[in-house]
Amino acid sequence: MSFVPKKQTYNARINEVVLGVGEKAVTIGGQNVLAFHTFDAEIANAPKIGVELTDAGMAMCTMPGEQKFYEGCATVADMAKRAETMEGASFICLHLEGADPNGENKSVDECVALAKSVADATDMPLVIMGCKNIEKDTELFNKIAEALSGKNILVLSARDENYKAIGAGAGLAYGQKVGAESAVDINLAKQLNTVMTQLGVNAQSIVMNIGSAAAGYGFEYVASTLDRVKDAALSQSDAMLQMPIITPVSADTWGVKESIMPEADMPEWGSQEERGIEMEIVTAAAVLASGSDAVIMRHPEAIRTIAAMIGELV
Amino acid sequence: MAVKGLDIFKLSPKKNCKECGVPTCMAFCMKVAQGALPIEKCPYMSDEAIALLSEATAPPMKAIEVGGMKLGGETVMMRHEKTFVNRNRFAVSLCTCMDDAAVDAKIAEMKAVDYERIGEREYVEFLLIHDAGDGARLAELCKKAAATERAVIIDTESVDNAKLALAAIGDTKPLLNGANKDNYEAMNALAVEAGVVLGVKGADLAELHDTVAALEKLDNKNLVIDVTGATVKETFANAVLVRRTALKDGDRTFGYPSIVNLAKLCRGDVHMEAALAAVFTMKYGSIVAMETMRYAEALPLYGLRQNVFTDPQKPMKVEPGIYPINGATPDDPCALTVDFALTYFLVSGELERSKVPVNLLITDASGMSVLTAWAAGKFSSGSIKKFFDEYDIAGKINNRTLIIPGKAAVMKGDIQDKLPDWNVVVGTREAVELVKYLRDGEHVKAAEAVAASKKPADEKKAVVDADAPLDFEKIAMSIPEIKVVDMGVSYKQRDPNSPKFVTIGERIHCISPVIREAMNNMDPEPILKRAAEQIKAGATYLDVNIGPAESNGPELMTWAVKLLQENFNNVPLALDTANKKAIEAGIRVYNRTNGKPIVNSADAGSRISNIDLAAANDAIVIALCSADGIAKDNEERMMHCHHMLERGLSLGMDASDLWFDPLFLVVKGMQDKQMDVLNAIKMFADEGLKSTGGLSNNSNGAPKAVRPILDSTLVAMAMMQGLTSAIVNPNDLRLMETIKSCDIFKNHVLYSDSYLDE
Repeated sequence: MSFVPKKQTYNARINEVVLGVGEKAVTIGGQNVLAFHTFDAEIANAPKIGVELTDAGMAMCTMPGEQKFYEGCATVADMAKRAETMEGASFICLHLEGADPNGENKSVDECVALAKSVADATDMPLVIMGCKNIEKDTELFNKIAEALSGKNILVLSARDENYKAIGAGAGLAYGQKVGAESAVDINLAKQLNTVMTQLGVNAQSIVMNIGSAAAGYGFEYVASTLDRVKDAALSQSDAMLQMPIITPVSADTWGVKESIMPEADMPEWGSQEERGIEMEIVTAAAVLASGSDAVIMRHPEAIRTIAAMIGELV
Repeated sequence: MAVKGLDIFKLSPKKNCKECGVPTCMAFCMKVAQGALPIEKCPYMSDEAIALLSEATAPPMKAIEVGGMKLGGETVMMRHEKTFVNRNRFAVSLCTCMDDAAVDAKIAEMKAVDYERIGEREYVEFLLIHDAGDGARLAELCKKAAATERAVIIDTESVDNAKLALAAIGDTKPLLNGANKDNYEAMNALAVEAGVVLGVKGADLAELHDTVAALEKLDNKNLVIDVTGATVKETFANAVLVRRTALKDGDRTFGYPSIVNLAKLCRGDVHMEAALAAVFTMKYGSIVAMETMRYAEALPLYGLRQNVFTDPQKPMKVEPGIYPINGATPDDPCALTVDFALTYFLVSGELERSKVPVNLLITDASGMSVLTAWAAGKFSSGSIKKFFDEYDIAGKINNRTLIIPGKAAVMKGDIQDKLPDWNVVVGTREAVELVKYLRDGEHVKAAEAVAASKKPADEKKAVVDADAPLDFEKIAMSIPEIKVVDMGVSYKQRDPNSPKFVTIGERIHCISPVIREAMNNMDPEPILKRAAEQIKAGATYLDVNIGPAESNGPELMTWAVKLLQENFNNVPLALDTANKKAIEAGIRVYNRTNGKPIVNSADAGSRISNIDLAAANDAIVIALCSADGIAKDNEERMMHCHHMLERGLSLGMDASDLWFDPLFLVVKGMQDKQMDVLNAIKMFADEGLKSTGGLSNNSNGAPKAVRPILDSTLVAMAMMQGLTSAIVNPNDLRLMETIKSCDIFKNHVLYSDSYLDE
């Protein structure tokens, strides 16, 4: 008798979460099988890619490929408009790095105005990524959530220390989607989802960010946490882990030695841009293979490649 | 699933005849289960048992060796379930359709990638030569490939061309990829004759399955499966399904390593190829062949592979040594930390960001983080001194500023004493703070202050000879006089042979700042207070952890033992330190009325000699069933257990004086291993062995209100399994009441309505 593979299907399903409004709204999550396991069941929604833009504007474009793509853009809003045309991009992620009180310390008002200008310039769903400072992020997210009310944005992210304020503000008062961020630990991830839903935030309004790392930099923890979250969500039907997962990739990968070492210092390594692109691609591909439902990336060539890869696999 | 040692034991003759060369049937069966001995070594095993076992003990996926590299042999689909065993290998593919210039360029590009990352050589391990239909050219390229000292994959489905290629390089044992539904008999004959591994191809999974089965019928099990399909999607499905069918569904026909040939799937798109190489590194490619491997691809891919193929229970370590950062020369200062890979990456990353030239010194700390290593005695002034001597740091570095981790500030004095020529300064507690610290030159100012405060050389302390025998009289004279204080409680006389559960109170531990301070000053009050609390709460033994105590261990332990025993009616104690001399001194003054002293602790690795120490002093020893890192399963736990048991017995110890510790694991993070620990306790009990352990470790990091619930539930489950002792916080009323109740049900204590007050 000829070989027929057994199917591995689950009764449980990852939540579907819609980001944005109108024609360009995207749905993430929804699948009831492991990543790209199309032979077990059809994948409900292919993983999505967001384009990371920072408040630094054109100054963030350190690589020739990025400079060329965004050529002629004067403002972050211009760049967002351009990013909409990027092959494989589904949403925009505005990363407010400069809000960090230990860095440039840009004011909340300035950040809100910037977020508004980006939202006005693009029809794509918008994700707002903070500066990792707990107090500043809390204020930023709630103010931006208020200003962009009705746009169905995602704020990235609430953490153990500020989930109450962000859940109550961005989540409940302004009806936006809320990211739940934990540091590469499945138990913390579940705990945060539990307390956030106890607060009244709808489970369907939560997207997890379980943490990330560049390939080679402790990535095994990320891979195993992703594996375990998906396993618990699907095989144990754990409703507190069925939120889809979004993983910011570029913020990590463009900071490691392999991507920042100039070719002049390391001639045998070759082109710095190629190294940065491949580091971003490899990390994103690995994160997606382990079950992330969306990734946030930066370089146009890396995004094109990962989008094509997703296209091949689903 | 592999068969467990104890399952084999059930089928064994159980006569302990030693004819197999192993002392007991149990030990023999454990070795068989690990694959260390073949079952046939036992002359008395029945044929049925052998047949049953050889089928059941065969691994679900074979490990196949090519070019000295093991492929496959995996037992789990996801690394957290246990671990991945053999990392995937990368190949660069060449084609007979390429001209010489193109071939030479590819080979040069491939060869350029060759470097080391955390103790592992990273390079392209295989060259795949694809045959586009030219046998002579195939043979020629194979020769060229073999000359690069890479393992070769001959990729042809033509028997004639395969023959030519094998004639050229058969002696290098290439992989012949290979066989299909039409040619498998002829290909099989070629592969067998040449003694090479045969790759199997097929249009789909059914065809692959049939061809592998047909080859197995011809008695060839030296195979790999080429899962490359017509599309990326199909290839991914094949890779996952072949692995899953073998591991989950127990169909060993698919229990072979895989080849994924990306050159076929993404011709020319080097970025797409990198993306897919990452996917198949994660998901089940054993050999991943690519058209292009430059540093741009290699750096992330090899880093990814190294991460994914680390054992989740063994910390990733970096080699000890000097790592110059930002172009540091011997004239630049040194910063010291441990060899835990994550610590290394964090610290070196921040040092790089600071742009300040620093020599990063990595010492051997068994891959633990700074605090864990310090508490375990693996990161001490002694180990640092040893490292400085072994690596001749003083000879290689001229600068004398030594920055130590902020978390190890407590060792500053000891390190300064051991390295008097250096100026030891305390760095930051977190790596991220290093950038500011270094840029502001804090370390320079601190080092100047240290240098200025140094006394003239002639006042240096006398060097202590660590190996000299202890002068007990001198020690006894040097400690403060012990005063007996009425703390309102007394320790009740105890029968050391009572079957009652033994609780070892853990509250006298130098990791607590109050106790550390008290020990530094030999101040009795805080220690007596904690002892009284624990005794009142019903602790059987008290643990006395004096930390690494490198400078005054023997004095400190002598003092602590006398202090506690004289104040509390000879309360029995567990002596807890990495300093052996301290334990020896403590036992010297120890009164055994209420039970032998406990040596806390030995393990099956670097601390195994603590068993000898216990044996020489007629003490009990807590024997951790681990060597380096947590045991990966109960086979390994039992192997360590038997290893230590044999050692203790050979030194004349009574088996009941070895208390085996399975190592309780944190439920947050290692939830799926909890039943393993409980089952290990049952195995100890089944062999009549005693057990103990730091039970409350399970609830580390859980909310305060939850911890007593977790701890008491676990103790009840563990006592049901046969746990005879635990290291606990006796002030946890719920836990102590649970233990007392379990002792009632186990019929260790006669019931009365007021049993809780006993």
